[in-house]
Amino acid sequence: MSIQDKNTEMNDAGGMLSTTPISSPLHESTVDVDNQQEKPDQQKSLTPSQQSMRRFLQDKRAVISLGMIVFLVLVAIVGPPIYQHIGTPYTNDAGKQVGPEVYHNPYRHDLDFEDLPISARFWLGTDSVGADLLARLMQSLLISLSVAAAVEVVDILFGVTIGVLAGYYGGWIDQVLARITDVMFAFPGLLFAILLTGILGPASDQFLDTLPVIGQYGNARLIIVSIAFALTSWPVMARYVRGQTLQIKANQYIEAARTVGSSDFKIITRHIVPNLISIVIVASTLNIAGTIIGEAGISLLGLGVQDPGSSLGLMIAERADAIDTPHPWEVLLPCIVLAIIVLAFSFLGDGLRDTFDPRSKD
Amino acid sequence: MATNLLEVNNLKTYFYTRGGVVKAVNDVSFTIKPGETLGVVGESGCGKSVTALSVMHLIANPPGKIVDGHINFNGEDLLEKSTEELSDIRGSKISMIFQDPMTSLNPVFTVGYQIAETVKRHRKDVTNDQAWKRTVEMLDLVHIPDAKRRAKSYPHEFSGGMRQRVMIAIALACNPQLLIADEPTTALDVTIQAQVLELMKGLSQKYRTAVMLITHDLGVVAGTCQHVNVMYAGHIIESASVKQIFETPAHPYTVGLLQSIPRLDEQRGTRLTSIPGQPPDLINPLVGCPYAPRCPKVQARCHEERPELMPVGRGEQVAACFYPN
Amino acid sequence: MIQFLLKRLVGLIFVLFCVTFITFIMGYLAPGDPIHFIMGQHFNVKLYLQLRHLYGLDLPWYQQYFNFLVHILHFDFGYSYKQQQLTVISIITTNLPVTLELGVWALLLQFLIGIPLGILCAIKANTWIDTANMGTALLVYSIPGFVLAVFVRFAIAQIDQATGAGWPPTGWGNPWQYTWPDIQAKLAPILVFALGGAAYIARLARTSMLEVLRQDYIRTARAKGLRERIVIYRHALRNALIPLVTTFGYSLGFLVTGAFFIENIFNIPGLGSITVTSVSTRDYPVIQATVILLTIAIVLGNLLSDILYMIIDPRIKAE
Repeated sequence: MSIQDKNTEMNDAGGMLSTTPISSPLHESTVDVDNQQEKPDQQKSLTPSQQSMRRFLQDKRAVISLGMIVFLVLVAIVGPPIYQHIGTPYTNDAGKQVGPEVYHNPYRHDLDFEDLPISARFWLGTDSVGADLLARLMQSLLISLSVAAAVEVVDILFGVTIGVLAGYYGGWIDQVLARITDVMFAFPGLLFAILLTGILGPASDQFLDTLPVIGQYGNARLIIVSIAFALTSWPVMARYVRGQTLQIKANQYIEAARTVGSSDFKIITRHIVPNLISIVIVASTLNIAGTIIGEAGISLLGLGVQDPGSSLGLMIAERADAIDTPHPWEVLLPCIVLAIIVLAFSFLGDGLRDTFDPRSKD
Repeated sequence: MATNLLEVNNLKTYFYTRGGVVKAVNDVSFTIKPGETLGVVGESGCGKSVTALSVMHLIANPPGKIVDGHINFNGEDLLEKSTEELSDIRGSKISMIFQDPMTSLNPVFTVGYQIAETVKRHRKDVTNDQAWKRTVEMLDLVHIPDAKRRAKSYPHEFSGGMRQRVMIAIALACNPQLLIADEPTTALDVTIQAQVLELMKGLSQKYRTAVMLITHDLGVVAGTCQHVNVMYAGHIIESASVKQIFETPAHPYTVGLLQSIPRLDEQRGTRLTSIPGQPPDLINPLVGCPYAPRCPKVQARCHEERPELMPVGRGEQVAACFYPN
Repeated sequence: MIQFLLKRLVGLIFVLFCVTFITFIMGYLAPGDPIHFIMGQHFNVKLYLQLRHLYGLDLPWYQQYFNFLVHILHFDFGYSYKQQQLTVISIITTNLPVTLELGVWALLLQFLIGIPLGILCAIKANTWIDTANMGTALLVYSIPGFVLAVFVRFAIAQIDQATGAGWPPTGWGNPWQYTWPDIQAKLAPILVFALGGAAYIARLARTSMLEVLRQDYIRTARAKGLRERIVIYRHALRNALIPLVTTFGYSLGFLVTGAFFIENIFNIPGLGSITVTSVSTRDYPVIQATVILLTIAIVLGNLLSDILYMIIDPRIKAE
């Protein structure tokens, strides 16, 4: 522990407030003050990024969450193709051979296999129309993650760009942004999504279902849903980024850069944006959690993915009444999966926040 | 000779942190006589604030803990008292004011309320009216103009210097026997500093209040104190009357402190003197004298044995050094 | 203070304009001809034109918007497309009390549970009480409300089976009446609804309280000899509650959206379910009306909490 920390610690204990200067984490090229003092038995100081990495790895909850997310992402992407090759074919009533690529297909309806429990053939059982639950879950997971990813990309692109511009230049950009965020705060994302999907939804089913991959199977609405969430998330991100930009701008090294004659573009790209990265990462992770919940919610209300597509929300909505039946797992499983993925992103976000700003912890 | 008001014996206060145990106050003993003003001087981190907070028993636990020692106030050991008894003593027999007046007052209560609150807490038989009268009296005493009206104002309506005066008013409202002032003027402008110090000096003389004045500024000490303790690395390394400290400093650290004060009569272009080296490590204190790594007069013995306070020169001057000036 | 209010009111009006405009434009641009829809089988050109005129659909868009606004100010949202005899307002007012009851109770419970819990955890920071409660709160808060609702419904069903208690897993009793069967039906939805918000508020209260307890003026209060109880409940608490006031308004936004899900899972016939059904039946006037009303509620809620904040914090009052 460095001398600085100890004195601060003592001062804190003594009741006096300590002030730690906010330093530029990226300026590794500046004189490394630590190494100048003679500390023969001190290890080499780590860069802030390395320190953050270390802190992160110490947060078990965050690491587990990250692992879980990676796992689920892999399952969602590679799971379905693999699953469709696992399993032995059986002969059906009409004497045909039915292979796993058929009965492990999430869109399949086969009333011979309704409401089955966990078995070797159907790893997590089947639902009320005979579709394999595991296959449907993986499909739903893929949809949730895709929507969240798409929304987040837009969120970051728009949010950061406009936020930085608003914070750095102020003026009319800032005013317009403030107005927009005012409206967005009043218009909760969900209401807007309901409005958008409600009114444009049915039409999109007609027009967009010709799109390859996305459009089929009732997933066309996802585009509308994604647009809705993207539209309501970026103002919040922009606002946040704007605030941070203002704080960063107030630092003296920005002033120093300007005195040296750096152009605005250079200052923004080399000084401001890198310092924003950690904050944006945290905000994005938490926002992803929110989008996943949002998409599930919209589908739950029947406004998102339609049958025969699957979304976690849709699965919950369809089988909410399964609670009173002997096969409640049909609704509990999607709930659990949803809870896990949301918790994972939330904990990851919290962990990231603690890594980058340990002072915000209690 | 009057009996001591406060006797601190072998006080040890440690902080248990993730990096180790910080021995902030490591065997400190001193006394304060009734009505006496004692200055406690030292650099940041030497333990002076922690000593003061230990006397008030305000050390945050965790992570801090008073591990050893006795704090005798009017003959009774404060460390043996119950929470209730301690809270009776704080604010009425021993008061404390702190360094940063901007944050020391509660922003949602009026200034008058915060003073009256102390009065009512410690004088059970006082009515609200009487308490308020006393409040206005105190504000007058600390030279807050238009006291009656200002008593109803909120802290954010006062400047830093005035807030510190309010703090003094709160501290002296119940006529304490000892006032501990932890760097009361450090956060104030120089001119205001002088005013506040004058105020404290006048009031303590008038009401025969003993004062423990903690500061890193030797100039402050010169104007207000009778006796001075110099602290370093959690120990008292010199204790003497104010005259002796300035005229015949014994410990090399004291000498170094005095030398580093820039003087008006120095030749232009002379370099400022400073004490070389690093502040001491309080988690792994060195064997021997804590000042040894930086001392210009260091000898072999200094690294092996820690010197106790021993008499040097005349009178009560003591210093913890084997080779004092 | 007046200046601030005026500024906010102007902002409010602007927001309302935007919201109503967006809602209106959606309806206007919505594919599908509502008149066609209404007429269904009985298509007749003359009637069609008459109906168009009646509904004002043959006017240019800005005039339509203007009429729209004027009507809103009179709380006239027109007639439902689906149930043509009913005005939209009547549909809404039929279902509003239920949602209102759900929301009011949930709001109350959120604060009544959340604040004391958060304060307690702050006082006992880092003890097992703190870690246990905050851990649970984190879970409850992170898991979406409707998932919690499903779990709770499941639990109720299991308990019903095991004990034969017969608690209704879905439905709502009589609005604003509290016979035992009513309470049975309403308890679970309200609790589940309140839980998420309570967890959030508890965490906020705890952080706020911890922040306050670190302040210098708390140390001063102790140094004055005040008893610990007074230090905490008089000096610390009041300061800690100030930031929480602002959450009051924002929680309205969450309440409004959360209501949709709770009503869905527990089959509660409230405003949320009406809105959802009207989406699937393309009953645009109803959708527009609910969205606008809900947004107004949220905006007013935010304004209210901003005003409360100003009243409570003497530092702001002075400005």
